[in-house]
Amino acid sequence: MRSNGFGFVAPLLVLMIVAFNVPIIYMLGLGFWDKSRGFSLAPYEALADAPVYLRVLGNTLRISLIATLANVAIGYPLAHWMRGLGNRARMIAIALVILPFWVSILVRTYAWIVVLGNAGIVNRSLQWLGLTEEPVPFLYNELGVTIGMANVLLPFLVLPLFAAMIRIDDRLLQAAASLGAPARTIFWKVYFPLTLPALAAGTLLVFILCLGFYITPAILGGGRVPMISNLLDTLINQIPRWDQAAAISTILLVVTLLIFAAYRRLDRRASGT
Amino acid sequence: MIGSSPWTRRALAAAGIFGLVFLTVPLLIVIPMSFSSARALTFPPPSLSLRWYETFFGDPRWMEAMWTSIVIAAISSVAALLLGGLAAYGLRRGTFGGRDWAEGNFMAPLVVPTIIAAIALYLGLAKIGLLGSFTGLLLAHTILHVPVVMMVLGVAVRDFDLRIEQVAWSLGASWSYTARRVLLPNLWPSVFAAWIFAFIGSFDEVIVTSFIAGRYETVPKRMFNELILEVNPTITAVATLLIAFTILALAAVALILRRAGKSTLVEGVTAG
Repeated sequence: MRSNGFGFVAPLLVLMIVAFNVPIIYMLGLGFWDKSRGFSLAPYEALADAPVYLRVLGNTLRISLIATLANVAIGYPLAHWMRGLGNRARMIAIALVILPFWVSILVRTYAWIVVLGNAGIVNRSLQWLGLTEEPVPFLYNELGVTIGMANVLLPFLVLPLFAAMIRIDDRLLQAAASLGAPARTIFWKVYFPLTLPALAAGTLLVFILCLGFYITPAILGGGRVPMISNLLDTLINQIPRWDQAAAISTILLVVTLLIFAAYRRLDRRASGT
Repeated sequence: MIGSSPWTRRALAAAGIFGLVFLTVPLLIVIPMSFSSARALTFPPPSLSLRWYETFFGDPRWMEAMWTSIVIAAISSVAALLLGGLAAYGLRRGTFGGRDWAEGNFMAPLVVPTIIAAIALYLGLAKIGLLGSFTGLLLAHTILHVPVVMMVLGVAVRDFDLRIEQVAWSLGASWSYTARRVLLPNLWPSVFAAWIFAFIGSFDEVIVTSFIAGRYETVPKRMFNELILEVNPTITAVATLLIAFTILALAAVALILRRAGKSTLVEGVTAG
């Protein structure tokens, strides 16, 4: 290349600025602007005064936390198990993790309606086993939303975690074993600390994605489990309170970017670059 | 783990298999349900039929939504591929200042929660009168899928030896000649993968589309609206078609990357 290469980047840069950066800045501005008074913090003051917003925020944080913890509880053993598989079985397991990753979130969320519904396979099995007389209400409550979110986000945790685990040199573990360490000690003193940066990074990533989740709570919550995104939808499309929507979006964006910065630091350490 | 007891190993295998079942079973259940003859979502289906596929293909609104989805995905994925591909090349090979900053900006749609991008685009497009327009939809779908193109092609350009290009230039080839005769013949498996990923991404996009599409209906938008109102078994047929489409597209990518001896799909996914 004879030039400095900026010409290759310029078209996309212009498009990004016009169609992405400017709208975001405009939206951020709306939260600080009042038609009659100019600069104003009124939308933020309104947020602090309305208990409904705080309740939705609390809901979102709680559901996100539980879904993230469920992800770790299911994802860590899964990735660890995949590491120990033979080549062929491992390829199949990887394919089974990647396929859902690319299937539409709508489809994956919808599938849970079929599985968890009153006549769904889970409830029918529970009834057949005599564990319950009445169908267990899994759908249209927090439980259903949490299950759906944990399911949709699991590949985001498993794939990077698995990638970090297969980079761990088996000889390190053999060295620990040859020095007489029992399996439990090898796991907790050698293996687990080596996976910790990737685990922490994956956990933060999943948590960020949870905070902004929209589709799964809308469908599996049936309108009874509002999260921040669904509140934003209401403020834009139904009530029209654009200033308050802008204020909430700003807060969500700042929180997301802060957690993302922490994620980047951990991810760099996890991938050793 | 070395030296772990058989019980620990069995427990780990059980936990791992549970994880895989948790990930895949919902998808596997949807497929037989789509061939059910019943209106109620009972599993296993009482008897088999194609009625939900007939409903889907016989409904002009679904067909129009499918056509809209295909057109948007086709145009925006090619635009994302062209702009993102050029930019990925410029970022890897260029020497201008602020490259990290530019790359961060291009990857931003991946980090910014989609709902926020949707609201920003809604407000921005409303301001300039493009809300509910086809142009607005194409713009949004293009920038949203630039990151996946950048991820795949950024790695591909980085791994391609710069000296091969330099040889072509030193022999008097122009940049566009080099691109056509040297770069593309070597990088096309990655280019194809990037295009497929952008296409799937656009075809499945629902949040931004729901906010800014106005009267336009895409398959995911229609599906989402129907799901909020009631559970309609036609969705099961749509879901099965989408699963089949994803499997075929990923299989094509995997096959082409393997033939080219390129990095596997896993590395592609985790490279970001």
